[in-house]
Amino acid sequence: MTDHFSLPLRPVIEKRDSSDSLPGDIAQINAQWGSFRELNEVSLREKIEAEKDKDPWAEEDEGDKEAAELDSSERMDLLYKRRAEIIQFALQAHMETSFALDFVSLLLSKHNPRQAETSMSPFLKTAAPLGSLNSEIVNPPPRSDASLKDVKSVSRGWRLQNFNNAASKLLNAGSRLETEVVAETKYWDEVLAVKEKGWKICRLPREGQALGVQYGFLEATPIFRDRGLAALRRADDGRLVLDKGLIPRKAQGVRVRVKHKGHIAGCSKVYRPSQDAESIESRILQARDTLFEEELFHELIREARILGSQGVTTRQNLVQVPVCDEQEILLDLVDWDQDHAPEETASSERNVLADAIAHSIRILLTYAHRQNLHRRTQLPPPLAPKRRPVPEYQILRPIMAYLQHKSHIQWLESLLSDLRRVLESAGITCDFHATHFSSIGTLQPSNLIPKVEALARVFLAPFESTFSGTLATPQSSFRVRIRTNPAVPPFGTFYEIFVHLPQFPDVQPPSHIGLQDEVAAVITHFAMLDIASTISLHNPPNAQGVPGKTGRLSWEVAYPHHGELLAVDSTGQSKKMKVNLSREELTIHTYFSSRSETFTRPIVSRSSTLRIQTWRPDLKEPGPSLVEFVAQASQP
Amino acid sequence: MHELLLFASVPSHQHHELLQQLAGLTAMQPRHRLERRLIFKAYRKPGLVNARGGTSREMQGADLVRLNKMLNGGMYYTQVVGPISGADFGSKPSSSGDLDATMSGTDETAGSSYDYDSQPWKLEFRDIPEAGTRSTITARLTASATLPKGDIVTPMSAWGYSFVTEYVVEGDAFIHNDIVIFLHRVLQYPVHGHEPHEPHEPHEPRRQMPSFRDLSPLERTGSYILQAAITVQDGSNQELMRTASQHLFGLREQLKTAVRLEHADRLSLDTRAK
Repeated sequence: MTDHFSLPLRPVIEKRDSSDSLPGDIAQINAQWGSFRELNEVSLREKIEAEKDKDPWAEEDEGDKEAAELDSSERMDLLYKRRAEIIQFALQAHMETSFALDFVSLLLSKHNPRQAETSMSPFLKTAAPLGSLNSEIVNPPPRSDASLKDVKSVSRGWRLQNFNNAASKLLNAGSRLETEVVAETKYWDEVLAVKEKGWKICRLPREGQALGVQYGFLEATPIFRDRGLAALRRADDGRLVLDKGLIPRKAQGVRVRVKHKGHIAGCSKVYRPSQDAESIESRILQARDTLFEEELFHELIREARILGSQGVTTRQNLVQVPVCDEQEILLDLVDWDQDHAPEETASSERNVLADAIAHSIRILLTYAHRQNLHRRTQLPPPLAPKRRPVPEYQILRPIMAYLQHKSHIQWLESLLSDLRRVLESAGITCDFHATHFSSIGTLQPSNLIPKVEALARVFLAPFESTFSGTLATPQSSFRVRIRTNPAVPPFGTFYEIFVHLPQFPDVQPPSHIGLQDEVAAVITHFAMLDIASTISLHNPPNAQGVPGKTGRLSWEVAYPHHGELLAVDSTGQSKKMKVNLSREELTIHTYFSSRSETFTRPIVSRSSTLRIQTWRPDLKEPGPSLVEFVAQASQP
Repeated sequence: MHELLLFASVPSHQHHELLQQLAGLTAMQPRHRLERRLIFKAYRKPGLVNARGGTSREMQGADLVRLNKMLNGGMYYTQVVGPISGADFGSKPSSSGDLDATMSGTDETAGSSYDYDSQPWKLEFRDIPEAGTRSTITARLTASATLPKGDIVTPMSAWGYSFVTEYVVEGDAFIHNDIVIFLHRVLQYPVHGHEPHEPHEPHEPRRQMPSFRDLSPLERTGSYILQAAITVQDGSNQELMRTASQHLFGLREQLKTAVRLEHADRLSLDTRAK
């Protein structure tokens, strides 16, 4: 019976003295009854009754009956003895496990001291140094010969296999290295060849392992400058591959076309890629040219946008520049390999013009690059919130100005030569002398800037041409200055006319004239004034030089700006002469007029002595000269 | 204006190499610069100075006010800088290369092409670097103004400055975006050994330049100073100042393998007159 003695090892649950805590009660009720719904007075009473009926000690009585047989003192003894036994067992177990732990820890501390140290007892730590215990197999049991033989042959097999593998790997590596060396040699030879041609080879900034060639222009707009670098990659067989990234493969270029009277009359030459198009050199060149052309077109568009006020229009891929009424220049970016032959026409003169423009825009862009370098190397202004805007390059403006200026010169030249022919047909000698683009001659290249730049700079300055000439009257002369300003307002062409007429010293034209019609009017007017004064000057010497003809009329300039001269003869009758000059002809009317009649009327029917003489350069039979005519008209 | 600076010392044997490296970095040829620098010291009491006296400066009103404040506010050393060319040096055909002759050659018979009376000048004021705020970079207030040509001592003394000494700065400048990189060294005029009691004789700037070879570097080893400077219009604009210092730090990173750019000791750049 004592064997079945059990000790309550679990702690006795204390009875809580705070019995009236409501949450505890609720929990108890929930646990005991399930739910409040099932708890009512009736059921409780029933239960109490049932409990009353039952004998409360009925179950425990049996155990008590057995225990009661033992004496209470014996029972205590037994209890203590058992307890002491248990404690002893427990202590022993603890000691043995800690010995085992120490032993294992000490053994492990040889190989894994840090970890083993944590599980060692402090005593052991002080008593034995770490790692002082080791284990090894002593006298292993001898193996059988068969197994030894097996092991030997297996290991030999392994070794042979590994040797074979290593050898084949080495051989593979050798042959691979050989091909690599060949490929590398080829690659480096080609890189060197590129370098020897003068290209700049450098490491790619973002990709330190790769080489790149720089063909772009350092002074270009940043987006184009940064594109001027392509990687020189090696193909598997060592060929050099130019890796241009996202740049289109096609060669592009700016094409210049001249449109004359609504149809294309001239086109600039098409650049044909050279024969060895596959060589790396030509590919670099093509990449560079395409980059340059793209930048050129970009800048053209940028400049064309600010020139909208001057009639320049832009489309998506086209810039239209009006030159004069009939001529227009079209600039567009095209693929070179496209066939442009149908548009080419026979007009070689306009082809030359288109070519000249094509060359000029390229020269002007490189000049702009130089200017960028110049600007970049100046001392920078202090950092300010506003960045300096990059001005548009002057590419279109100088060309427009030049062409405009040239057309104005041609117009003025034709006007003056027309006038001269008209005057010469009337026997009046006059001459004019033109200095085209006199501004270009006057600008001397200075030592501070290189000659090439000075040369290009000349074309960016305002153009100026002068025409000077003499008129019929001695000492009278005229001078016309044409200025065309490409860059700064006022844009366009202006005429400045200076006239020296001794007879009319205070007559001067307006200083700035912009319209050709007005210029023509002013110049013919002055020529007319000059003729009128010539007529008035011719008379006195005639009258005095020929003494026998004293009765001659002497003409005086009455209304110079209307070209009217008056002469009064001895009878008191006045004669009138009217000079009309235009680009085509010179006409002189003479007629009588009464003094009272101040305004002129073409009184054709009134007098038979009326004379009309017209001089035209294209007349077949030469008429009398002006002097002769005046002499006749002076007859009384 | 504010100026942000970084400095590095460049030993003379590295000079040529660094010039080439900088030329590559900035993609430009070096611009050789020779400058006469005269040091003036303010000597009058503040308030007595009248900075408005008949100068031919083309300045904004605000600049004038600021300069006035600078001139009157405290006592500072200022520099007067005049650009010169290599031909200005030693153009005197003195047969004896003797230093004594150089000194005696100050008379007009020497036939020098250097014309002191047409020497342009620029006043450069530099404040003591700001303390603390940017410890990794030197930042200081600057102002400069164009001065009349020729004799500069008279107008300067009228504004309350006395001439202290002068020296020559020789170097090469590079422009890298907004940064001016100036690799230079300070050269001293020859000391006239025969008169030890006159260590720095003249109390006015030389009218004659000695031969370039006679100038001796202030730093005996012949090493150069690399100065990277960026000027900012408005020093109170923090955004700009930050941008500027980032530019300088970027340059420092780029030049890291060649030279170590550092900020200078603040007190060594003290321009206050004690």
